[in-house]
Amino acid sequence: MQVSVKNLKRYYFEKLVLDIDNLTMEKGKITGIIGPNGSGKSTLLNIVAGLDDEYLGTVEYNRQLINKNIYRKMTIVSQKPYLFRRKVYDNIEYPLKVRKMKKDKIKMKVDDIIERFEIEDLRDKRAHLLSGGESQKVSLARALVFEPRLLLLDEPTSNIDPESIKIMEREIVRFNEETKGTVIIVTHNMEQSRRLCHDIIYLEEGKVGY
Amino acid sequence: MDYIWEGFKEALKLLIGFDKEVYGIIFLSLIVSTTATIISSLLCIPIGIHLGVKKFRGKKAFSRVLYTFMSIPSVIVGLVVAIVLSRRGPFGRFDLLYTPKAMIIAQTLLVTPLILGLTYSLSKSRGKEIEKIGRTLGGNRMDIIILTIKELKLDLIVNVVTAFSRAISEVGAVMIVGGNIKNRTRVITTTISMMNSMGDYPMAIALGLVLLIISFVINSIIYSYSGED
Repeated sequence: MQVSVKNLKRYYFEKLVLDIDNLTMEKGKITGIIGPNGSGKSTLLNIVAGLDDEYLGTVEYNRQLINKNIYRKMTIVSQKPYLFRRKVYDNIEYPLKVRKMKKDKIKMKVDDIIERFEIEDLRDKRAHLLSGGESQKVSLARALVFEPRLLLLDEPTSNIDPESIKIMEREIVRFNEETKGTVIIVTHNMEQSRRLCHDIIYLEEGKVGY
Repeated sequence: MDYIWEGFKEALKLLIGFDKEVYGIIFLSLIVSTTATIISSLLCIPIGIHLGVKKFRGKKAFSRVLYTFMSIPSVIVGLVVAIVLSRRGPFGRFDLLYTPKAMIIAQTLLVTPLILGLTYSLSKSRGKEIEKIGRTLGGNRMDIIILTIKELKLDLIVNVVTAFSRAISEVGAVMIVGGNIKNRTRVITTTISMMNSMGDYPMAIALGLVLLIISFVINSIIYSYSGED
């Protein structure tokens, strides 16, 4: 899914925090958004995710404005993910259940992603009691299980162990290569953006640097 | 002091001897308050959750009005229901006044603002995060309401039990719309009030003990769900 942003302005209490004339994130690519704290990275991601609608300008997805159909084809993983107060398995199956997928297919898909994320030992644990790294892995697995056309990641690997980061990066790349799903990732980590991204956007004081 | 001790002894006799009248009163109290709480919960929990996360014009004013109604005196609710159900009132033809149905209506109206307000407040503070996740994972409006109810289940149970506690312990509304008619609309609180004015303490003490036990059970449920010792 291609994402185009035009004449985007976002104010917080009369302060302009985001000011982008024209920006396109290409379909099927991994685009990194980097920049210092307060540069508007997460604000931009929330707007693209449809979670923030108090902006001026337009955001288009494959040349369409946001609608229910587009909404169901994308998802966001945040830095501090909220996991439901139920088992890890139940968390991961949720996006498939709301899409009315058949039970046996759900089981197959959830089992597969649990194996790929190497979280078999967490399968029956209560998700809200997991550690930071475990939560991030479960959250990413829950986002990838329904193969979205647009995956938005807000610093998904900050403050977690290197082994978990390795697994998550591997699965993000695999998702992009296998499904051609578009990924937009906000990160502080330059090395990570070089490892993962096809394109990098630099934001500073709400504007695109280069 | 002897009459108090005698009152206790008589009260225990009534309870242990399964006195028909005492148990009839207890049973009616439980039926009326439980039904009112269930009806109100079924209506107000989904609405409260939806309104808590929804942005709408006048939300602040709505909150203030709702929170005011949470502490509405039970006699006012009783009076309003009595007027509406009285023979000359708009629903007089249904002949509901002085029946358990009227008591259920009154208690439903009494606990509705309480359950709606508590659910609305809970949803406003914690529902947004759940709604956000539900939306980004593809849930529709109904999926998100169900998800939020499941996620806030423990707090919602505490809210419902709090409302039941208010219903079972109130006296004003059921006295006005029920009329405290023997073997028909007499409940624990109205009986205690009547027995006290008659100076007949054994039954009042017996029912008082039952009300205390019910309160103890309710509080035990609340504390065990809210994780306190």
